[in-house]
Amino acid sequence: MKVSGEATLHAPVDRVWRALNDPAVLVRTIPGCERLETTGADAYSMTVTAGVAAVKGTYTGEVALSDKKEPHSFVMTASGAGAPGTVRTDVRVLLDPAGDSQTLVRYDADAVVGGMVAGVGQRMLAAVGRRMAAEFFAAVDDVLSGKEAVPAETAAAPAPPAGVFSAPAPVAAGQDTFLRGVLVGAVVALAGVLVGTAVGRIGRRC
Amino acid sequence: MSTRWFGQPIPRVEDERLLRGAGAYLDDLGHDALAAAFVRSPHAHARITDVDVSAALDVEGLVAIYTYDDLPDRLAEPLPLLIPHPTLTHGRTPYALARDKVHHVGAPVAMVVAEDRYLAEDAAERIAVRYEPLPAVVGIAAARAAAHLVHEDVPGNLAARMTQSTGDVDAALAAAPHVLSLDLAIERSASTPLEGRGVLARWDAEARRMRIWSSTQTSTGVRAAVAAKLDLPLVDVDVITPDVGGGFGVKIMHPWPEEVLVPWAARLLARPVKFVEDRREHFVASAHERGQLHSVRVGFDDDGRLLGLDVRFWHDHGAFIPYGLIVPIITSTQLLGPYKPGAYRVTFDSLYTNTVIVTPYRGAGRPQGVFVMERVMDAIARELGLDRTTVRERNFIEPHEMPYDHGLVFQDGRPLIYDSGDFPASLAKLKQLVGWDDFEQARETARAEGRRIGIGLACYVEGTGVGPYEGGHVVIETSGKVKVATGLTSQGQGHQTVFAQIVADELGVPLDDVEVVTGDTRRFGYAVGTFASRAAVMSGSAIALAARAAKEKALRVAGDALEANPDDLEIVDGVVRVVGAPGAEISLGTVAVLSNPLRYAFDTAAQAATQFASGDPAKPPVPEDDEPGLEGRDYFSPMQSTFANGMHAVVVETDPDTAEVKILRYCVVHDCGTLINPRIVEGQIHGGVAQGVAGALYERMAYDDAGQLQNASFMDFLMPYASEVPSSVEIDHLETPSPMNPLGIKGAGEAGVIPGAAAIASAIEDAEGIVLTSMPISPSELWELRRSKETG
Repeated sequence: MKVSGEATLHAPVDRVWRALNDPAVLVRTIPGCERLETTGADAYSMTVTAGVAAVKGTYTGEVALSDKKEPHSFVMTASGAGAPGTVRTDVRVLLDPAGDSQTLVRYDADAVVGGMVAGVGQRMLAAVGRRMAAEFFAAVDDVLSGKEAVPAETAAAPAPPAGVFSAPAPVAAGQDTFLRGVLVGAVVALAGVLVGTAVGRIGRRC
Repeated sequence: MSTRWFGQPIPRVEDERLLRGAGAYLDDLGHDALAAAFVRSPHAHARITDVDVSAALDVEGLVAIYTYDDLPDRLAEPLPLLIPHPTLTHGRTPYALARDKVHHVGAPVAMVVAEDRYLAEDAAERIAVRYEPLPAVVGIAAARAAAHLVHEDVPGNLAARMTQSTGDVDAALAAAPHVLSLDLAIERSASTPLEGRGVLARWDAEARRMRIWSSTQTSTGVRAAVAAKLDLPLVDVDVITPDVGGGFGVKIMHPWPEEVLVPWAARLLARPVKFVEDRREHFVASAHERGQLHSVRVGFDDDGRLLGLDVRFWHDHGAFIPYGLIVPIITSTQLLGPYKPGAYRVTFDSLYTNTVIVTPYRGAGRPQGVFVMERVMDAIARELGLDRTTVRERNFIEPHEMPYDHGLVFQDGRPLIYDSGDFPASLAKLKQLVGWDDFEQARETARAEGRRIGIGLACYVEGTGVGPYEGGHVVIETSGKVKVATGLTSQGQGHQTVFAQIVADELGVPLDDVEVVTGDTRRFGYAVGTFASRAAVMSGSAIALAARAAKEKALRVAGDALEANPDDLEIVDGVVRVVGAPGAEISLGTVAVLSNPLRYAFDTAAQAATQFASGDPAKPPVPEDDEPGLEGRDYFSPMQSTFANGMHAVVVETDPDTAEVKILRYCVVHDCGTLINPRIVEGQIHGGVAQGVAGALYERMAYDDAGQLQNASFMDFLMPYASEVPSSVEIDHLETPSPMNPLGIKGAGEAGVIPGAAAIASAIEDAEGIVLTSMPISPSELWELRRSKETG
């Protein structure tokens, strides 16, 4: 399945680049992300609580960045697994100056979804992916524009182990939990698991 | 054979259950299932440029959305062309979900699965499909003109052109003392069963088996189609027909897109999925029938005898032609009715339009054909100043000419040979029943009161009981109860009753001990389906043969037990007894026990069948040519159809001011061979007559030029109420048994509808003195005809 899209962020390219490579930013901008751990250079593991209506599931995944051409492009390889299925995706992300201190981010994702996740229809998967991406970039933009603060260090005790980043307390759950709660990789890659959540619910009710 | 039950007008055994509300129709099943709803095209012809599902994601409870791009493998291929024909050179069938283009309003574009139907429809409503409209081809004239094409690769919108002929028509017409030309039209209508289509599927992931319930007229057909489309072994697919609220032809079509999509989704999602069609969907996404234009030239002698008949007609089969040419082939052959046409030639074009597809609707091309032939008969009578019945009598095939070979090929690919019928006797009965010869007196009386009345009649012959085959299975259980199964389905015909009557007589058991199951592939896997008035003929015969096989074995086993010659045995009330030897008897249940040698006795009765209690020690427990159990299975496959016939006469009154048509009397003489249950036959006639009246006076499909069906609801589509249907239908039967099957029966299911439009047109014409060439006719149309007659 191929999903592509673009977003305009209100910051110059180099700031956007830094934000997209900052785990502290990612953990609070990736929809549904609860925990993000550095596992190596440009490699992270994540935990996402995915929820639809009253039923939620927890999914784990890995993200790695490669082919980095700072500050213009990188490739993100993400994979995730939950009970109902798996997703693996390569996302090529391009950053271009868009004048007036703005950045145009374009992404092209090629995702392979497996298991029952794959059973809900490609257009639905793609639409979810696009919406997740939009939400992610909006959140990043909020950080860049200062609407959302990112603490330099985690202040509250107990302190998490080094390299572990936790998301702030979840925002009120509701209709958009369906959209926010499901990402496993970053950006578009998570679409599959989002949908997997829906299917996971199916499995439980069988 | 006892005739205790056969021929008795007993009440239907189904009715108590159904009338108490204990029926189980498709939507009564699967309360745990996810619901499917469809996004359907609002355009008659358009290119799909985009499908945006993003807004649907906000619907909580949404599970899946599918479009054509999701369909795998064979599901992505066009749906099957069920009945190919050499003349069907440009057959096109739809995809299960539209690919790139839509070809009629109502075509399925996306399938939504959600927790319930409300949510599924909410989500469907939010899916935005962008279309680029294309010119729509609506109606036969536009299809023939072919200024636009329904399918780019089908020139002239022509799927098929077929000609059949016998004799030299051109020479016959050239030599005929009289020649008339008529242009005759019948509009589209539809089966409109009260229960629409519906399908429920459960995938058993552990056993890897599919179980499907469908409101269908062919469970075996659906089974084979689903197995092929989903690449499943046939033995791993069960299709069960629950109670079905009417079919009338539309449900013989299979697989409907939904019948393959729902099982596919159920397997993909590992949850049961159900689709139940709503009324608007039935109007725009199922099937119609009847729409044809006919151009006729007829040559006849001074006595009104046909010398040559040249028929050209155009059939509007809609956007696709999955059911093939069955309807126009039936028109082209059954048009002949009970008459000898002289030289005959018929050519039809089957044309694509951007409208709903056609499948047979009760009568299936015959109402059109009969309308044409009976209009011809009335025109000849008018031309020669003869009584309308006289012209018909002079053209009848006489009883001594049976079997009568028309020299044509019927819809089943077999010769059109009438097997039986006594048309002069039927007409004599009809004339007496309606008081034909006294009608002028009634007309004068009415005229004196300022009322206009008219009388009309129409005759038909109906090929019924088409092959290839049906089967029956009869098993006598150790309880003495008899379980019967046949593969074809029931949609209200009373099969449970009439098949039980047959078996009760064949076996000599109480009717209450016989239970009949139809349309369940778990019980009987080989079948064709319920259509063409074939169930009683085909399954009735097969079940009779199966019961005879079971009886033969019962007598053999009982003969061993009673030490009597099986020829000396009879079965009465479920007990096998030696004729003339009171007390020498054994119940059928015990015979069933003895028929199955046991190692383990599960009850007292079974002890009699254990290896220490029975059997000839010199033979194996089950001899080589035998099998355990007391059952019979057999099939019936006739050489050709059997031809039923009938004649209707109707008396109408037309309102001098409003032109409203009121039916005063409706008389039917009907020959369906031997009657299994006269009450059920009469019920079939009543229902058929109601649909015949509907097709004559009320029902039509009001398409506008853009291909929008403007009356796609029961508010606007005028299905007649009890108030529009004749309050009594006067029926007389003639029984000329068919030689084509062991019971002498002919089909009765469709008969009532066939001559309705023709007979009512004849009666209105008689009342008004205005020639009718198109049906149905509304009061305003009749009023306009009056006005144009007055203004000349």
